[in-house]
Amino acid sequence: MNTPYAITLNIHRYDPEAKRNWIQAYRLEAGGMLRFTDVLRKINQEQDPGLAWTSSCEHAQCGSCSAVVNGKPLLLCELLVQDAVDFFETTSFVLKPLSIAPVLRDLIVDLAQAYERVHQARPYLIDPAGPPAEGDELRIPPKVMDHYVEATRCINCFCCAQACISSHRNFLGPNAMLANIVRLFDPKEQAQTERLDILSASSGLARCHTARACSFVCPKEIDVAHFMARGKEGRFS
Amino acid sequence: MTPAIRVHELVKKDVLIIGAGGAGLRTAVQILSRRPETSIAAVTKVSSPQKSHTTTAQGGVAAVDPKDRIDRPEYHMFDTWKGSDCSADQNVIKTIVDSAWEQILWLDAHGLHFTRNEEGRFSKRTFGGHTLHFGGPSAFRALFEADRTGKGIMDTVWAESLKNKVRFFNQSLATELLFKDERCIGAVIFEARTGTFTMVLAKATLISTGGLGQVFKITTNCRQNTGDGLALALRQGLPVMDLEAVQFHPTGIVGPGILASEALRGEGGILLNKDQEPFMERYAPKMKDLAPRDLVSRSIENEIREGRGAVHPEHNLPHVWLDIRHLSEYVHKVKLPEITGFFSKFIGIDPKVDLCPVRPTVHYQMGGVPVNAVGEVQQDAQRIVPGLFAVGESACASFHGFNRLATNSLLELFTMGKCVGDRIADFLQEAPDPGDTARQAPEQTAAQFSGYLQAKGSENLWTIREAMRSVMTEKCGVFRKESTILEAIEDLKELRERAAHVRLKSSSLLMNQELVDRFELDNLLDVALTLAEGALARKESRGAHSREDYPERSDAFQYHTLAFLQDNGAVRLGKRPIDMSLFREGGEHAGHFDLLERKY
Ligand SMILES: Cc1cc2nc3c(=O)[nH]c(=O)nc-3n(C[C@H](O)[C@H](O)[C@H](O)COP(=O)(O)OP(=O)(O)OC[C@H]3O[C@@H](n4cnc5c(N)ncnc54)[C@H](O)[C@@H]3O)c2cc1C
Ligand code: SF4
Repeated sequence: MNTPYAITLNIHRYDPEAKRNWIQAYRLEAGGMLRFTDVLRKINQEQDPGLAWTSSCEHAQCGSCSAVVNGKPLLLCELLVQDAVDFFETTSFVLKPLSIAPVLRDLIVDLAQAYERVHQARPYLIDPAGPPAEGDELRIPPKVMDHYVEATRCINCFCCAQACISSHRNFLGPNAMLANIVRLFDPKEQAQTERLDILSASSGLARCHTARACSFVCPKEIDVAHFMARGKEGRFS
Repeated sequence: MTPAIRVHELVKKDVLIIGAGGAGLRTAVQILSRRPETSIAAVTKVSSPQKSHTTTAQGGVAAVDPKDRIDRPEYHMFDTWKGSDCSADQNVIKTIVDSAWEQILWLDAHGLHFTRNEEGRFSKRTFGGHTLHFGGPSAFRALFEADRTGKGIMDTVWAESLKNKVRFFNQSLATELLFKDERCIGAVIFEARTGTFTMVLAKATLISTGGLGQVFKITTNCRQNTGDGLALALRQGLPVMDLEAVQFHPTGIVGPGILASEALRGEGGILLNKDQEPFMERYAPKMKDLAPRDLVSRSIENEIREGRGAVHPEHNLPHVWLDIRHLSEYVHKVKLPEITGFFSKFIGIDPKVDLCPVRPTVHYQMGGVPVNAVGEVQQDAQRIVPGLFAVGESACASFHGFNRLATNSLLELFTMGKCVGDRIADFLQEAPDPGDTARQAPEQTAAQFSGYLQAKGSENLWTIREAMRSVMTEKCGVFRKESTILEAIEDLKELRERAAHVRLKSSSLLMNQELVDRFELDNLLDVALTLAEGALARKESRGAHSREDYPERSDAFQYHTLAFLQDNGAVRLGKRPIDMSLFREGGEHAGHFDLLERKY
């Protein structure tokens, strides 16, 4: 086994009963292959069972464990200790909850409002095209799908929304736009007008400043800014 | 000061769905398509139903295309029956397989982005245990959305539920089922987010809480898969069925146990031991690397035991290799990008250049809350519980018997979801109103949660959780025998005692994650104990349940286990017969549905 790293996590904490904020430093030894979620669990077990954080699948498929580490929004489950040390060139890390949502306790935020913005982009088929004939599937050439399937990989982790320089108070957010743009490409969607309305509303793409921060932080490596650009051009094929 | 546990709000709905995953929400959408005026509440522990564990399913979903000239539903039924080690219920197999294609089209029409071939039709791939002509060549029967099929299904049913205005309780958990005159009338919901308890009274209640993988140390399952639905049922004196049938997936990525889907072997990946020998040829000469999961898992464990495993330097765990270096750039980058990416992200290797270290990991529970073929929960082999339904991985109908075939679980979610949704829609027409108050106040929840908040002692809940997971993995894992299972039962009883001495750091109810973890720990321990007792009593090997002291399947155990957990921690066992209607009804293919020897 390779030698573990001696790391320090400076965690922004919040106690909702006392309405108190503080930063707490946890020092521990951690193997290079541990995920940050493993490290937090280790803290719960060895030092402080009261430190609150959340996760679910722990392999970057659900987007439950987003947080800000040394200024970068990311998934805690995807960050290995070794990679964190290499990337940030330090063994000391500052962990903050996302700031685009109210904090419930420590690293856990309330995503209800943030998700509401995604709901406003109507992630379903508003007016489905329906299959061509009984028992048959709608034919969609792979070349057509190639234009948009990448964007369907979005897991609504809100890292892009966190990094976005436009405020979430005015803008539905890059991920909400993505959900809408997917359906503008999708031959199964017939409600083009409603979709374009979502795009051009005052909470829509006009709020995007093309800073490309979304593409830079997306843990799924989706080129979010590319899709925003296509949305602005109005080119969906 | 510990806060008093009381009900803050009473909510009345037609239907309460405990577990807003793929199965729960497919059911919700079906009910609404039949009765749009139905009011439905759906609960999930995660921050949005979209984040439920269904979203992580990778490989695909089996369905026979009626346009396919060579594949036939009977072959799929046969594969499922044989794969189950002759322990699945044939009436359920028939219902599910027959409705598969129609339900695939439903998903496609509601927005799922199934991967297409050059003609623009659905692409298909092959998976372990799926054959043509009753055990002949591999069948290309699995449809997929690249390597994120589960996400496609989850996104579709979640979005349809939004469209149809299901009310969601997110970051919340059901803590207790409520009954009135033997009828289920809803449940108590703890909204962890706000620290409040809500009593939801409903005409129909559905358990769809997913798996129990967290009972074991290395698992593909998410943190929330703590067997809650099973524990809720057990605490009401209801049985669970076949918990001893736990599937180990052969290829978990060494260390975290993340799943490296069968799709990698479906596309041509090969398992090698430390001498680089493709060892599956010795264990399953015909199907080799694509033999069913229980067989491949046991083969890997056997290679490791006989000294032919490698050892991972960082995680210090024995393993074998999965070789996917020879697969095309297209497979690595386009067909299976998420999965190949896991190897580089989580263990820092490049699967185009390096061999991938893998070993068995706990993946799926074949057992669950016993239900009939339309999802009505059973209190014993004859009687149902009015008002209570179950679906998905937490239910056992049983479609998978003692070993599930790859791609058959996702199929079950939405075919049974549709079927149970139809049954609930019918049931609502005649269902009595649950009244305004539950006769039984949520005493159980109050006692349980006050107990957690007031407990004194120096135990750490994660230490107990980890100890339980090690016990189950080492003593009740891929291979088990009487002496180790007995040890496991003793250890679990001791851990249950110790759990009473966990003192929580905070006695607040507001988003107290430790309190949620504490509740889950009780669920895990109850489920683990029931599982171990089932494994002890089943003195044979069947599917994934592999007893070293009884290596053969025995006709004396040709039934499902029903297990009831008593207040004192003792487990009472019963039986449910296995349906063999396809065999009994006779006909051309009946012989393939008899008790078969299982060779691949
Ligand atoms: C990594 C992985 C890959 C897989 N790949 C495939 C595949 O390719 N093909 C295939 O057929 N199958 C696959 N499976 C299996 C399949 O994905 C699962 O069996 C299936 O998704 C389970 O769905 P479900 O709806 O029953 O449960 P889940 O999707 O797990 O949903 C359960 C829901 O219940 C909620 N819940 C739990 N407890 C409570 C409580 N106390 N109160 C309220 N809510 C609660 C959860 O938060 C969640 O919302 C895979 C599984 C895994 C883990
Ligand atoms: S686009 Fe990327 S960063 Fe943004 S929510 Fe989706 S997955 Fe997360």
